[in-house]
Amino acid sequence: MSYLKIENMEIAFNSLKGRFVAVKDINLEIEKGQIVSVIGHSGCGKSTIMNAVAGMVFPSKGKVVLNGSEIKGPGPDRGIVFQNYSLLPWLTVYQNIFQAVDAALKGKSKVEKKELTEEYLKLVNLWEHREKHPKQISGGMKQRVAIARAFAIDPEVLLLDEPFGALDALTKTSLHIELLKIWNVTHRSKTIIMVTHDIEEAIFLSDRIVVMTNGPAASIREIEEVHLPRPRNKKEIVNQPEYKVIRERLLSLLVDKIEVDEKDFYKEEKAA
Amino acid sequence: MKRAIALTATWIRESDFPLSASGFQPALKKILSVLTGLSFSLLGFAVFLVFWHIVSIITNAELPGPIATSQVFWELVKDPFYDYGPNDKGIGLQLFSSLGRVFSGFLLGSMIAIPVGLLMGANAFCRKIFYPIVQILKPVSPLAWFPIGLVAFQSASTATIFIIVITSLWPTLINTSFGVASIPDDHKNVAKAFGFSKWKYLTKVLLPFSLPHIITGLRLSIGVAWLVIVAGEMLSGGNGIGFFVWDSWNALSLEKVISAILIIGSVGLLLDRGFSFLEKKVTYSI
Repeated sequence: MSYLKIENMEIAFNSLKGRFVAVKDINLEIEKGQIVSVIGHSGCGKSTIMNAVAGMVFPSKGKVVLNGSEIKGPGPDRGIVFQNYSLLPWLTVYQNIFQAVDAALKGKSKVEKKELTEEYLKLVNLWEHREKHPKQISGGMKQRVAIARAFAIDPEVLLLDEPFGALDALTKTSLHIELLKIWNVTHRSKTIIMVTHDIEEAIFLSDRIVVMTNGPAASIREIEEVHLPRPRNKKEIVNQPEYKVIRERLLSLLVDKIEVDEKDFYKEEKAA
Repeated sequence: MKRAIALTATWIRESDFPLSASGFQPALKKILSVLTGLSFSLLGFAVFLVFWHIVSIITNAELPGPIATSQVFWELVKDPFYDYGPNDKGIGLQLFSSLGRVFSGFLLGSMIAIPVGLLMGANAFCRKIFYPIVQILKPVSPLAWFPIGLVAFQSASTATIFIIVITSLWPTLINTSFGVASIPDDHKNVAKAFGFSKWKYLTKVLLPFSLPHIITGLRLSIGVAWLVIVAGEMLSGGNGIGFFVWDSWNALSLEKVISAILIIGSVGLLLDRGFSFLEKKVTYSI
């Protein structure tokens, strides 16, 4: 019995134009402590799968089972990092994390909640910025707040919905390291599911990569296993044969045209 | 020595001292821009006064000119708080009794408008059932409510407060419900994902997001209330700035009427400024 299991899931929405099937026939089993990426083109229902695990949308067929019980709604056992940071603009960095911790961990005392907030603020190197408001910090810092907020409630599963999509390549790289750092600090016990567009990011972070077919009514096309040893090194990993194999496989699955057709040039020249 | 310099530097930064070495130029520019703004206003007033004076000459002083009016105005504001019985009170006392009515009506109205607005914004069912009523009652002239107020309260003074309540609550109500209804899904999802309690959602998401909208509504409402009071007091009589206008007209003193208009306008402006200041205070920036 695997830890997180998605069984024959179909998610459909009723709209004015009729029934719209976002994803169907989704079967996925994830072990505890794994990092799994879901990759695919825009509109392939990646975020929908994520929302189903989060408990924000419900399957029209099939079910999502976490640790033996079916998911019936959002809960503190799952932490979410949203696509666009989703920090509350009127709260400081500290308060953004604290209020989430305060709401999610009902059993803990105020002192414990404060300690947790402070611990995670320091872990993502935002201690000096704790009194700032979201508009005063950069995109990368905002995403670090969002990650700290999700980890601080000590969830079993972390759901990252295109967490680094809006960031530049350099910030992205440092946040990858930061994410793995927190994952290590928590003894690699957290299961992480991440939606992404970025092939390199998926390979660097994941144990498995789920490739989706195109929507609508998308399903799983293929699942790639990544056996690259951890800890991984950004610079060295690209030279490993397995990395190249997986990268090529993903490219051919996701991109149908990987080079500029020379005929196109000739046409242009003739036209000119 | 170095330490002292560092300390001064932080002190300047923290207190935002306007005339610090680096801040001197901006401060000067600010004063200049205020002065230019002021001179434009003065120019506008001058044009207005000249125009008024010409009209007064054309009408053979049927409409009192600026000079005659300013003399009466000065008489009025020189001793604003005298009280020679119910029919002869200073302009200050009249103003205060009007302001008292405006604020009690406005506060009562807001106490109805904000909760109902929150409810309408948060709940689509409430919005659907109340919105048609709001649309029908909103455009009704305040004076049309007066007879109903008289019947209900048997007192002209209370009826005046009633018409302020009923006409000033709409802008707050509509703005509040709009503010609450436009909370982005992102914010709602955060509350959902982290299991915010109803109370936490109210105090950490709903109110902070809609507060700027609510204050804007209140600002519009106090404007309406101030607009309504003059008409209301003309009908109800007794005291107040509206009664003063009507009484001055009966005494055929247009100078007093014009002075009252200027005072009403200035007080309205002050009320608006006050709320606009509040508005800026509560608006968070994204």
